[in-house]
Amino acid sequence: MPTTPDPRFSRRHLLQLGGVAAVGTGLAACAGPGSTAAPEADASPAPGASAGAASGDINFYHWRAEDQQVLDEIIATFQEANSSVTVTQTIDPSSQYSSTAAQRARTGDIGDALTSFRGAQFEQFVDNDIYRDISDQPYLDLFVPALIEAGARDGVQYAVPYQLVFNMPLVNVDALEAAGVSEIPKDWPAYLAMLEALEGAGYIPIAFPGADLGNAGQYISTMAMNNGPSDDALALVEAGELKATDDWWIQSLTQFQEMSQYFQPNALGTQIDPAIALFAQGQAAILASGSYHVAAARAAGAEFPMDLAPPITTEPGELKYEGVYNATFMLGVNTATEQPEAANAWIGWLAEPENAAVYANGTSQHVTVADVEYENQDLAALQPWVTANTLLAPRFQFNNLDIRDAMENSLIAVSGGDSPEQAAEQAQTVIDEQLSS
Amino acid sequence: MTTSRENPATRSVDTQPPVAAPAPGTATNVRAATKPRRRRRRGATRAPVSLWLFLLPAVSLFVAFFVIPTIQAFQYSVTNWDGLSADFDYVGVGNFTNLVTNDSIFRKAVVNNLEFMVTVVVLQTLLSLLLALALVKNTRTSVLLRAVFFFPTILSSVSVAFIFSFVYDPTFGLANTLLTRVGLGSWAQPWLGDQTMAIYYIGLIQVWFHAGQMMVIYIAGLQSIPADLYESADVDGVSRWQRFRYITWPMSATATAIVVAYTTIQSFKAFDLIFALTGGGPNNSTEIISTLIYNTAFQNFTFGYAAAQSVIFIFVIGLITWAQRRAIARFQGEV
Repeated sequence: MPTTPDPRFSRRHLLQLGGVAAVGTGLAACAGPGSTAAPEADASPAPGASAGAASGDINFYHWRAEDQQVLDEIIATFQEANSSVTVTQTIDPSSQYSSTAAQRARTGDIGDALTSFRGAQFEQFVDNDIYRDISDQPYLDLFVPALIEAGARDGVQYAVPYQLVFNMPLVNVDALEAAGVSEIPKDWPAYLAMLEALEGAGYIPIAFPGADLGNAGQYISTMAMNNGPSDDALALVEAGELKATDDWWIQSLTQFQEMSQYFQPNALGTQIDPAIALFAQGQAAILASGSYHVAAARAAGAEFPMDLAPPITTEPGELKYEGVYNATFMLGVNTATEQPEAANAWIGWLAEPENAAVYANGTSQHVTVADVEYENQDLAALQPWVTANTLLAPRFQFNNLDIRDAMENSLIAVSGGDSPEQAAEQAQTVIDEQLSS
Repeated sequence: MTTSRENPATRSVDTQPPVAAPAPGTATNVRAATKPRRRRRRGATRAPVSLWLFLLPAVSLFVAFFVIPTIQAFQYSVTNWDGLSADFDYVGVGNFTNLVTNDSIFRKAVVNNLEFMVTVVVLQTLLSLLLALALVKNTRTSVLLRAVFFFPTILSSVSVAFIFSFVYDPTFGLANTLLTRVGLGSWAQPWLGDQTMAIYYIGLIQVWFHAGQMMVIYIAGLQSIPADLYESADVDGVSRWQRFRYITWPMSATATAIVVAYTTIQSFKAFDLIFALTGGGPNNSTEIISTLIYNTAFQNFTFGYAAAQSVIFIFVIGLITWAQRRAIARFQGEV
């Protein structure tokens, strides 16, 4: 006959469990974070040592697998010029890098030179003494000063953003011409008219990767850039000084819902790769992504010229910003490295304009280094955006990612049919919980 | 009945001398009569100390990688450790209080998890039982089909997620393409982008993934039912339904208990499938407790809070497993 073990908990079981718990607690007391000493700053020479003094093996830790080949080329030239230094790359996928880079790098076993995302991860690296002070490094002079401010805190330069990207969204210039749109709109009525014209010309106006919050959520920056009461509006939301239920965000949600009518059908289930495919195949005129996907679109077969078409949410003549940029891939030196001179020499090499040009042209990414000559056609086409009136992406003002997700999810909610007020209320509930916890 | 004295492996270690039989009728004699038997049993089951050393490697690994981390989870659950810092503060039951009273995403994850569990347990149990009933005979076709239905089980979760991300893609995916081709284009869905239904669509993937595995358990259970029960039933002229209702179903109760318990735990641990498919989105609609714990720990770096979520997770699984076992025990008592 089938039998089932007696589910009751006997006194003997309780004693056994108690014994195990007592032993385990004792062992646990010997382990854990309390006994793990944070890596202290070593007594190595001060930053700023010349490349000539550098030697040793260093590891460059980052998340850009697509840049590996170009970086290998730059490493080869660096090693030729610094024969006593060797550089290896350790590359994690970006999501893994976000979650585990600090833990992996803090011992110094990898990541003598290492990168971070702007915003929460940079703050985490600084808070945990992972980034070394590089304020007196001569290579800082090679960058555009305004573009590396994001790598400083309290007057100390901890890292230098290397990539300059433009966030949202990419547009097929041929499609614009086919729809009779001669220039990128500068106000909301004109923007909607452009979407209408694209639809009339047989295009899906916007390919939206609604199932990929990491990309879809970038819209938060362009919706906030002109609607926000201040440039740091999203930081103020996180601080509790502004609310998702305020008029400016309700207006943003209302406009986003209006714009979402021009997304491809069932857009909330679309990942980034199918969205890129729609764009590259010429079915969709706009890709809700940024300049960082130009190379991917080309790889998927796109042959048309591209530009950016950020949604301008204001009435005619009222815009503050034409678009959004981000300075990221923040290069820094690990506090725990035993080769700080070599790590600084490597970053200094990347900052040389001719090497930065190799990186930029090879990866289709603008860089924050001054006096770089862009030969890549896509970079040349987007070059006017480098000097345009753009805002540093507000999305990365968030340090609490639950609050950021709540705000971005309100965009997803309205494109799924929720009312702007309802979506804003849901977002504010989560924000209030976060702020009170 | 087998006794320890009949076991040659234990006989050699029984060194207790035989005790003379006591005179009957006295309390002392009664104790004396029972004492040697107890001594003999203890002596028979006592293993040499050296044998315990063979357990040491496994026990060491178990303690190092299971017991200590589990206990550490309890320890960290009352701290504000960020997962990186060398020190932390104890916050008492603050994490638990916040989880219960002030965390709508956690409550949503618990509800999602229960919806996912019910979907998977019901559908997977039914489907695997149906497959087992259809394929219980050891014919060549049955064996082949068993292998086919079992095949998804050997795939990795990430591979399955990859496959179904193509199936469910609303623009290029198989599901909407098929619907459109057969004239049901209006039924096309965003699938994993549907905030109301996405958790159920993932549940269907989980059923596809593991039904073959559960089918094997059911087949083993069905094949252990004595054939003479069915022969007797045939003699009595019972219908097919009566055969199932009064013989097959009660006699496969143990298999059902295993399938339900395993499926339940599996549905709480579907982290990799959900993480690879949706990451918990859209708008937290597919967030389950395990994905939320990961995000809390590795996205927000609030390890103490994640540990508190883990502790509640342990108790939720324990409670559901206990309730299931009670229900099954009661059911078996009835049949």
